[in-house]
Order: sequence, then C-alpha cells, then structure tokens
Amino acid sequence: MLPPIFGVLFDGIAYGMLLFVLSVGLSVTLGLMNFVNLAHCAFAMIGGYVTVTLVNQFGWPFLATLPAAFAAAAVTSVVLERLLYRRLYRASDLDQVLLTIGLAFISVSVAAYIFGTVQQPISTPEALRGSVQFLGLNLGKYRLFLIGVALVVTLALVIGLEYTRFGAQVRASVDNQRMARGLGIDVDWTFASTFALGSGLAGLGGALAIEIVGLDPNFSFTYLVYVLIVVSVGGLGSIAGSFAAAMLIGISDIAGKYYVPELGAFLIYLVMVVVLMWKPAGLFGKR
Amino acid sequence: MADQPLLQLDNVTAGYGDAVVLHGISLTLPENGSLAVLGRNGVGKTTLLLTIMGYTQLRTGRVLWRGQDMSRMPPHRRATQGIGWVAQEREVFPSLTVEENLTVASRPGPWDMAAVFKLFPRLSERRRNMGNQLSGGEQQMLATARALMTNPALLLLDEPCEGLAPVIVDELIAAIKLLLADRRVAIVLVEQHTEVALELTADAIVLERGAVAHAAPSAQLSQDAATLERLVGLRVAATP
Repeated sequence: MLPPIFGVLFDGIAYGMLLFVLSVGLSVTLGLMNFVNLAHCAFAMIGGYVTVTLVNQFGWPFLATLPAAFAAAAVTSVVLERLLYRRLYRASDLDQVLLTIGLAFISVSVAAYIFGTVQQPISTPEALRGSVQFLGLNLGKYRLFLIGVALVVTLALVIGLEYTRFGAQVRASVDNQRMARGLGIDVDWTFASTFALGSGLAGLGGALAIEIVGLDPNFSFTYLVYVLIVVSVGGLGSIAGSFAAAMLIGISDIAGKYYVPELGAFLIYLVMVVVLMWKPAGLFGKR
Repeated sequence: MADQPLLQLDNVTAGYGDAVVLHGISLTLPENGSLAVLGRNGVGKTTLLLTIMGYTQLRTGRVLWRGQDMSRMPPHRRATQGIGWVAQEREVFPSLTVEENLTVASRPGPWDMAAVFKLFPRLSERRRNMGNQLSGGEQQMLATARALMTNPALLLLDEPCEGLAPVIVDELIAAIKLLLADRRVAIVLVEQHTEVALELTADAIVLERGAVAHAAPSAQLSQDAATLERLVGLRVAATP
C-alpha cells in the first residue's frame, strides 16, 4: 500500500505530461527560430475545438480525432506562417509579440462567436474511463493514456531532432542560415515544417487537455501562462528542459492545490521565481 | 549542352544594398576548369564568389549556368544545381557533429563519406566531435569536405589557406591538387598566396576596384612579374 502522496504525484506527472505536449512546440519556435509566438495556445485551442466538433457533431471516436486535431493546428499555423509570421522573422521581439498576441485575441473572439463561451463537453471512449488499482492507488486510465502519449511524443521528438537528417538540417539552419542555404538546404521550408510540427503538437495537447482542464474560448490565454512558465523554466529550445520543467510545474501545481489550497494556483509562480533566480536561463538553457 | 560553358558571368555589376562592389565583370569557366581570382584586399574577390552564389544584389548582367540564366535563382537552388561553396570563415555548423556537418546537405554522387575521409584522413578521426571542437585547419577541411559531399560541378574556394599553419596549408594544397587531377569538378579559387593559386589553376583573373584588370592563363601570368607587381603587389618572381 502506497501513501496518498503517490496518488498526488501521479496526477502531477500526468498534468505535467499534458503541459509538455502543449509547450514543447513553443520551446522549439522560441528557442530554435527565435520567434515569440504568443498565439501558440490558440493553435492548441484549434485542436481542442476540432476534437470536440468531430466527436459531438460528427460522432467520430475520440482517438480518431487526435490526428485531426494535430493536422488542423499544423495546417492553420503554416498558413499563418506563410502569410504573417515570416514577415516578422527579422523584426523586433515587440513586433512579434504585438502580432501574435493580436492573433490570440482574435482566436478568443472567433471561438466565442462559433462555439459560445461555455465549457465544451467531451466523452472519452469507455476504455479510457475509470481507473485501475495499483498498490492501493487509484490511477485514472485517461491519465495513464496521457502519460503514454507524451512519452511517445518525447521519444519521437528527440529522435527526430537529434538523429535524423531533417533534425540536422533544422539545427544547421538555426546555427547559420546563410551557410545552410549555401549548401542547398531550403531554410524557409525547414522552418515552416518545424513550426507546423510544434503547432501540431500544441493542437494535440489542446485535444488531450479537454478531459483534464476543459475547453472554453479563454484557453488561448489561460494556458499561455503555463506554457510560458514551462518554456522559461526549462530553457529555450531544449526538449529535455521543457520535459523537466513541465514535470516540475505539473507536480507542484497539483501538489500545491492538494496540500496548501490557501496558496492555490500561486505555487507554480514561486517555483518559477526560485528556478529563474537560481538559473536565469532555465534548467537546461544555454542563454 | 556540352558546348555550353559551366559558368559564365556576363557584364555583372553587383553589390550590397546601395554599395556597388563589382563593375561589369565577365568571365567564362568550362566544365572541369580552374580559375584563380587574384587581387589586393578589398577588390571584390569574396563578393565575386557571393555573387556567383546569389547572396548579393545583381544590378546588371547575367549569371549563366550551363547556358541557363540563374541570375534570379536563390542561393539554395544554385547549390542544388551544382555549386559547392566553401566560405572564407569556414562557417562549420557548431551544434552538429563532424559527421552531421558532412551529411546534412549531402547529395548522391561519387563524393561520399568514405571518399572525403580518404581525402582528409584527419576528419575521420574527429567524426564524433562537434563542429566547434575543431582546429582552424580541421574546420577548413570540414568546410571543403562538406561542400564536396553535395557533389558539386563547381567548387568555390574562398582563401582556403588563410590563417593556417604551413603544414596544414601543404595538406590542403595537396588535396586541391588531387581534386583538380580527378577532373570531376571545376574550381574557382580566391587566394592570397598568388604563387600557389597560379600553380594550381589553368586560368587566372586579377581584380582591381571590382573590375577585371587582367586575364591570362595562369602559367603565363606567373611569368609576368611586372603585371603581378602592379596589380597584386607581390614580388612573385623572387620566390623560388
């Protein structure tokens, strides 16, 4: 029999995994491409609404909507990247912030206009409901599923960026765009695909998040805060850093709400302040 | 298209922004040819290579590749057409290993990992090192090998021997000789060591203030001490 703290830990890990899937794309665009994309969670929200619509209006099974959520967010992000973002790659941080925060505001209004301001209901498949008993702990099946998905995503990302030619081309383009072009690498295409991948993962995160945290038009901003904390605590551009930070923030958020409810949601900010005072560039950050 | 020269610059005027560096440059390079670009510092030698790659603003004139106009082609497409660029500052990718630097942009052809390691055995010892853990000479070898891995028809070498120890320079020159003897790639060589550049190449041009001041076969120019003295300022004839 394990004491209840392990149950809290489990919920914290599951929540951290969710934060990781939501934030890793931003870590990549911010860290590797130096683009401040505050509309990142708007892409996550697109994924969420795609899943809700497909399940509730079209009767798709929940699992089948996850790739659709990924694809919808990825495609939308590429369209915006081609139309708007790429004009600001060399612009100042402030210009990038103004553009993308504007897009985030637009996403809130559009979502409220189409879907209303209410929380969206979602029904997950039978197999993901309820919980399993493990050494006296109630482990939610959906949270187990979440952890599994996040681990697969992490593995795929690490392999994709560190061990494939595409990953090497991304890193080469980040190191030295001019030289990368001079060797025949299509840098624009490389960055657009990286951006789409990161946004697609946000879309997947948005879809996975509905069951845990719900979905309403304010998602773009509510989770932007969490995602920015994860990215800054983890260190820009570091997948391992994002993973560690997401775990830390997820666990401290759940543990804080459980053990010190009077501090409530404030604990994660304390954690962030402490980490950044100790390591200003984040846990795994280089600059 | 065997009758078309590999590369042709036709009355090219180019520069950066408002600054015009090259004035009315014309040159022709046949398949497997070799051209030395000489001249004092700041006459536009590097700019000439950057213009061939497409990094500068072309004001007038055309750049022709096997007879096709590539004046408006972006750099990455020129590279895939068959131009391999070895930059003056080497510009090795620091966050890639030596092996990844070689494979990141490689294209199929006779130059593969085994072939470049044969040309530069030092690199094979360092294959697991990161790009920023190499000496200057090793970086130059890596930059050259990286360009060769794209299996270019034309190699642009920008001062490959600059700032390197004499023993490394000898190694590099031996490698360039092997490349030229191989007759599978044409070379444009920008080099401060005039005598070395003339020995390696078939033809030479001397730039002055962004224009071609003199063009001659390299063997002939190396005997022309007066012209070299006037345009390059080196007493080449005095060196053995």
